[in-house]
Amino acid sequence: MDEWKTNPAIKPHKKRSWYLAWKYKLMNQRALRKLCQTGAVLFLLVTVIVNIKLILDTRRAAYEEEEESAQDYDDEMLNVEVARRPVSNKKVLDVEVYSSRSKVYVAVDGTTVLEDEAREQGRGIHVIVLNQATGHVMAKRVFDTYSPHEDEAMVLFLNMIARGRILIFTIKDEGSFHLKDTAKNVLKSLGSQVAPFLSWRDMWTFVGKKGGEVYGEKHAKSPALSTWGDPVLLKTEVHLTSVEDAECHWPDTELNRRRKRFCSKVEGYGSVCSCKDPTPIEFNPDPLKDNKVFDVPVAVIAGNRPNYLYRMLRSLLSAQGVSPQMITVFIDGYYEEPMDVVELFGLSGIQHTPISIKNARVSQHYKASLTATFNLFPDAKFAVVLEEDLDISVDFFSFLSQSIHLLEEDESLYCISAWNDQGYEHTAEDPSLLYRVETMPGLGWVLRKNLYKDELEPKWPTPEKLWDWDMWMRMPEQRKGRECIIPDVSRSYHFGIVGLNMNGYFHEAYFKKHKFNTVPNVQLKNVESLRKDAYETEIHRLLGEAEVLDHSKNPCEDSFVPDTEGKVYVMFIRMEQEADFTTWTQLAKCLHIWDLDVRGNHKGLWRLFRKKNHFLVVGVPASPYSSKKPSSVTPIYLEPPAKEEGAVAVPAVPAAEQT
Amino acid sequence: LGLFRTAEKMGFQWLKIINKDPRLDGMDDLSGTEIPLHYIFKLASHAIHLVVFYERSGNYLWHGPLRLKRHMDRKFVPFWKLHFGRYPGAYEKPELLLVSIDDLKVQIPKNPSSFLEEMSQSRFLECRYREARAFIQLYPDDASLDAVEFRKRAKSLLHLAALTLDSLGVKFWLSSGTCLGWYRQCNVIPHSKDVDLGVFIRDYKADIIPAFQKAGLPLKHKFGKVEDSLELSFQGEDDVKLDIFFFYEEDDHIWNGGTQAKSGKKFKYFFPKFTLCWTEFVELKVRVPCETLQYIEANYGPDWKIPVKMWDWKSSPSNVQYNGVWPVDEWDDVIQIY
Repeated sequence: MDEWKTNPAIKPHKKRSWYLAWKYKLMNQRALRKLCQTGAVLFLLVTVIVNIKLILDTRRAAYEEEEESAQDYDDEMLNVEVARRPVSNKKVLDVEVYSSRSKVYVAVDGTTVLEDEAREQGRGIHVIVLNQATGHVMAKRVFDTYSPHEDEAMVLFLNMIARGRILIFTIKDEGSFHLKDTAKNVLKSLGSQVAPFLSWRDMWTFVGKKGGEVYGEKHAKSPALSTWGDPVLLKTEVHLTSVEDAECHWPDTELNRRRKRFCSKVEGYGSVCSCKDPTPIEFNPDPLKDNKVFDVPVAVIAGNRPNYLYRMLRSLLSAQGVSPQMITVFIDGYYEEPMDVVELFGLSGIQHTPISIKNARVSQHYKASLTATFNLFPDAKFAVVLEEDLDISVDFFSFLSQSIHLLEEDESLYCISAWNDQGYEHTAEDPSLLYRVETMPGLGWVLRKNLYKDELEPKWPTPEKLWDWDMWMRMPEQRKGRECIIPDVSRSYHFGIVGLNMNGYFHEAYFKKHKFNTVPNVQLKNVESLRKDAYETEIHRLLGEAEVLDHSKNPCEDSFVPDTEGKVYVMFIRMEQEADFTTWTQLAKCLHIWDLDVRGNHKGLWRLFRKKNHFLVVGVPASPYSSKKPSSVTPIYLEPPAKEEGAVAVPAVPAAEQT
Repeated sequence: LGLFRTAEKMGFQWLKIINKDPRLDGMDDLSGTEIPLHYIFKLASHAIHLVVFYERSGNYLWHGPLRLKRHMDRKFVPFWKLHFGRYPGAYEKPELLLVSIDDLKVQIPKNPSSFLEEMSQSRFLECRYREARAFIQLYPDDASLDAVEFRKRAKSLLHLAALTLDSLGVKFWLSSGTCLGWYRQCNVIPHSKDVDLGVFIRDYKADIIPAFQKAGLPLKHKFGKVEDSLELSFQGEDDVKLDIFFFYEEDDHIWNGGTQAKSGKKFKYFFPKFTLCWTEFVELKVRVPCETLQYIEANYGPDWKIPVKMWDWKSSPSNVQYNGVWPVDEWDDVIQIY
């Protein structure tokens, strides 16, 4: 073995030895060691003290929370504002607004109030409304002005906003393609210099006061058709006004205090917040004589569509015979704005922690709301179930008052509903007329407590079952051959366009032209004939009276029905067995009524109106009423179109429900 | 609102106690505004305690506990002297009578003495919904048709039993599996086979058997005798039994007895002393042991949270003890099966 020799090429580890020397030097100094030890002990003490302080502070904060809630009910201190940010005495807000192809954000005093960098969504002009005294966010909207008609919606929205509010605009991706002149002019009138010249893929931010000054505006033009403008960041200061200047001075009444609370928190509700002549929030509908439903609880099933809820509650509170103290709004989630709307009208609201997803979430929300309704009103034998996207007719409670005894006494009834699935403007005529149908329309209906408690609640679908609650209720295992009572002319109108099962096209096609009763205090005719056996007698009587139409003509044509009024006609269609709806579906399609599934039938019989004549359709031979068919008449058969023509993709059978 | 302003004008000071609405408690997580539970009006050295009662499903009246929040004046009135508010309470819905007292028209319960009697035993326990929800997360509920049917039958059997026993004035509580179902999941356990109730032997009445017979529940078997290990079992609809266990009180414990029919073997089940509280179960106001956890643990051991589908009453309970056999000459008396 070679002798090991130091390699002169390698440098000695000078650094290391220096460090070691220093270390040993230190360790040998006792004083230094002591110092380090005391230092460590002191550090330990300090952390312990900090921890104790933290614990005490948290406990105190927990007590203070209770203290604050105690303040709520002290009438002397109307502590109304729930501060979303700590109340500060600042007079100036720092506002940052960012606009770019893929991301927008708005920050107020360092707090992000809007941030959207998700792909494939949020395109267009984002609008934020701030309270000019507190800087709180009062409304947040996005208008996809790349697509048509959104600019009109934006103009409507901007016109409803009170003067003095701070408006913040920012574009994400593209916001000019369908931004028409009217909208551009509105923006110009708000003080924007850029809006009239906004073009393809420009980035734009703007902060201004409605009816007042401009706080800042920044713009980046897109250099070429295929590229976007550079991202734009606008930083500006906004001076806050005093609280008095930001509010209207309505006379001090309980109603106006509620109005003030609402209007300082939320924007976009138009004239309910006008300083002059605000729309009333209390309605005094005529009392209903002998109101049999004054003590029936009303459950409003709501999600997060506060503007829909607002419209719905207005119509509900205007209905004759309404008992506001029986109304409970159940909100599916801890959303503030729907609660604000509920409190504006002085109603009771309950929030539900949502579980599950999509239609299962809706179904769980229904269950929680119905169970809670019967818990809160243990004496109730019924509950009225409404949704946030319905207009309620002025005689809704009158209609129920006259018919509810049937639901109590006739066990063959499943529900009473205000909605006629086939009741369109051209197929419904008589608001005093009622039908029995083998389906559950929902959309404003009455649930019997024992049906819910004994049958439905115990086997309500569990959270992982992605079923529509109303499709489930319509299943034979639940319905068990029972029927619902409906009016010919619906007492509710479904106006929702946005929702879990809704869209604009669907609304246009199936809901827009639904007939809705506006006549107050309609006296229902012959209510007793809606009982099980009495109804059969009535049908037989009608069929006896009905004139048989000429079956050689095309039933889809208007001329199929003579130009008379008030007569009763009957038509026979082919219906091989109970579930054969081939001809009916084609007929429904060509008459432009509900054709997505079969609704409105009673033992193979449909009742509607055509050209103001009562029109009966009997399915032969499945219907027991086939015996009324004269032997000379051949039931009409309508063949479904061959697959190539008009094979319209039928959407998954919808519930037309919300969220 | 007018009430408070008027009271203030008359010189009253008042205090309002609010808290969460228990009617929103259930398997779903709901929250609404807090409800008023108590009001105290003070004038000089007099105080009026206004207790707010709410009707709960099950058609009984409930009032909440009186708890002061941190900032409230603990010396406002001598709270410890108040008769209502130590615990939440449940009462039968009384019929009211309008009477005139000192020229004031007031309403009083039609039967004041029975209302007052209820006070000492009015303590109410809410079902533990939070724990029940946690339990269902771990052990998802049986949603089969059989389970739904069984629950339905158990519920109506329990309602019928309650009606019958109440008409006789016999105090009872939820026992064994029925009690476990209430405590653990706020519902009838789907794999339990019957409805179990407990009655103190001192409350036994001979009328029980004929009364149940009249109500449509014939006696299925009778074990033991009033002096020792009495147990009654009634046949409900479709295989659901109603078991009534009679409990014997000793100085420092309580026990109930069991009998094995084919061998005449006796068993004793020990429980620490307990008192009775009201609660709401399947829309019925019923009693349960106030010291429920102790009761449950005595019967089911520390693993009571874990569902056990195969329960053998002779060996599974943790508090069971073999207690000898019945003398053969007594068998006809102490083992009666129909």
